[in-house]
Amino acid sequence: MAEEKKFYLTKKGLEKIKKGYQTLKKLKTAKIKGEVPKILESEDLNPEYLSFQEDLSLLESRIAELEYILKNAQLITPPPKEKQNIVNLGATVTLEDSDGEINEFMIVGTLEANPNEGKISSESPVGKSLLGHKIGDKVIITSPIKIVYRIKKIRYQSI
Amino acid sequence: MSIFFMKGLLNFLIEINKLKEIPRTGWVLMGVKNPETIADHTFRTAFLAWLLGQKKKLNLKRIIKSALSHDLCEVYAGDITPFFYYPQLPKKKKERKKILMKWARLSEKEKKKIGEKKFNKEKTALLRLIKFFNPKVKNEIFSLWYDYEKGILEEGKFVRQLNRVETLLQSINYFGSNIVKSGNNWWEWVEEIVEDPLLLDFLKVIQKKFYGKRIRIYRSEEKELEGILDFFLKIGKLKRLPRLYWLLRKVKNPETVAGHIFTLTMMAWILGRERKELDLEKLLKMALCHELSAIYTGDTTPYDEILSKTKKSKKEILKKLPRLSKKEKMEMFLKDYQEEKRAFEKITLTLKPSLKREIIQLWEEYRTKSTPEGYFLPQLNVLAILLQGLLYEKKDKDFFTFPLWEWAFEICDHPLTLGLLEEMKKKFY
Repeated sequence: MAEEKKFYLTKKGLEKIKKGYQTLKKLKTAKIKGEVPKILESEDLNPEYLSFQEDLSLLESRIAELEYILKNAQLITPPPKEKQNIVNLGATVTLEDSDGEINEFMIVGTLEANPNEGKISSESPVGKSLLGHKIGDKVIITSPIKIVYRIKKIRYQSI
Repeated sequence: MSIFFMKGLLNFLIEINKLKEIPRTGWVLMGVKNPETIADHTFRTAFLAWLLGQKKKLNLKRIIKSALSHDLCEVYAGDITPFFYYPQLPKKKKERKKILMKWARLSEKEKKKIGEKKFNKEKTALLRLIKFFNPKVKNEIFSLWYDYEKGILEEGKFVRQLNRVETLLQSINYFGSNIVKSGNNWWEWVEEIVEDPLLLDFLKVIQKKFYGKRIRIYRSEEKELEGILDFFLKIGKLKRLPRLYWLLRKVKNPETVAGHIFTLTMMAWILGRERKELDLEKLLKMALCHELSAIYTGDTTPYDEILSKTKKSKKEILKKLPRLSKKEKMEMFLKDYQEEKRAFEKITLTLKPSLKREIIQLWEEYRTKSTPEGYFLPQLNVLAILLQGLLYEKKDKDFFTFPLWEWAFEICDHPLTLGLLEEMKKKFY
């Protein structure tokens, strides 16, 4: 049997998923009863729920997806102090390139990756190349291009 | 359909037409002459969404709409890149280019700050753009964009990655595989975000084709992805192909075939959703496909044959629709049909048989008007052309849209298309 996919989430990310799941379940009940729940009357409605307002099948498939995610969620916790010099999920990595310029990424699971927030997925080529490296390591990201970074700093905040 | 809906729709279409004139910032900064527009980029992103989304078994209707809407906000927000906020971006061309050769290096704090600024600017712009619509349409467009920005659902997350893959392909088109010329930034940009296994394989196929890299993926998968890549490279030519109808009328920098397809697909989405009896996914795909043949036939117009035979002045001929007998029309149709069919066979040659059949079938339905979707789309097509003509006419009083009106009056018979036609009359005259 194929191994089930694990979803790595920060505490904040997991809470968000749980909250979303509960909201969508309420929405489904209301839709089945033919009611417009209060959350949908507000002008400030969270845009995350807009897609499901009209489309019941999309709503149902999202609920099933969230159930699957919650079943397979794994909380990202900061590693013990002696291992905090190694890049792992949840780490914010400060990198220096060959011109001395600084770049920073936070490594997260696929569900929380957002380049606009500086968060990259551990499954992206850049994320993958960084995992497991220590401060001072030289990391080479190769595709057709070759980017050489040196890891300057690794931080784990309370996640 | 309410008069307010039509008014709102027309205003929206006029506004998004600007995306056919806004060049993408990255190319401008890199000094590319006459680069692709945001509409051109959206066209191929929507195609990537269809073909690769199908392989991923994603919701195709949703993913195509997501691709179509992902850059709509740029009508007012412009195409923002992190370099706009880069503290050391010099004014001198040479020095600036040096920085642009690699992707922006920023701290986490700067990334968050820039990301938030960009998000808020684009959100405000999008809300301004869709204010013309009723809440249902407004919610749909806004939620698709929000999903794309935040990567909540699979489709939004996938399109976010496709956006960068499409740009990477375009960078190879402009600069080739010579990293010294192109810089690292396009690959860096892609490799930060692409994480989907299918897209990672697709990137490997790109590396093999353009950089001679050895790759390790399943042979059958490799072959299929190579075929898809070949198809995307071919359709990229439509971004550079100006519409002949406007060139004949001496319009400077007219819309491209890809730009026209973008407008038509947007119309198909917004008007198609009002016709519940139609298959919207099919209509969207049909709109994306309808003029692919131009890659090989070039863009054609009903005047081509007449202009080559007549002694009358070109200006005289172009003043009205060609006057043809039923027999002549039939002959012209058959000739074009055969040429276009041959072109479609060539374009889809490298795709797997089921996809090839689907694309050719969609084009045939459109060309022969043999299904409800195939009957509706030509009406939208003439309205998309008429609207573009009216916008050119507004800029240049010597430009005349008379033949386009004639054409629209001949072809439109559905209350929705007639309603939009009426609204155009009110708006422009």
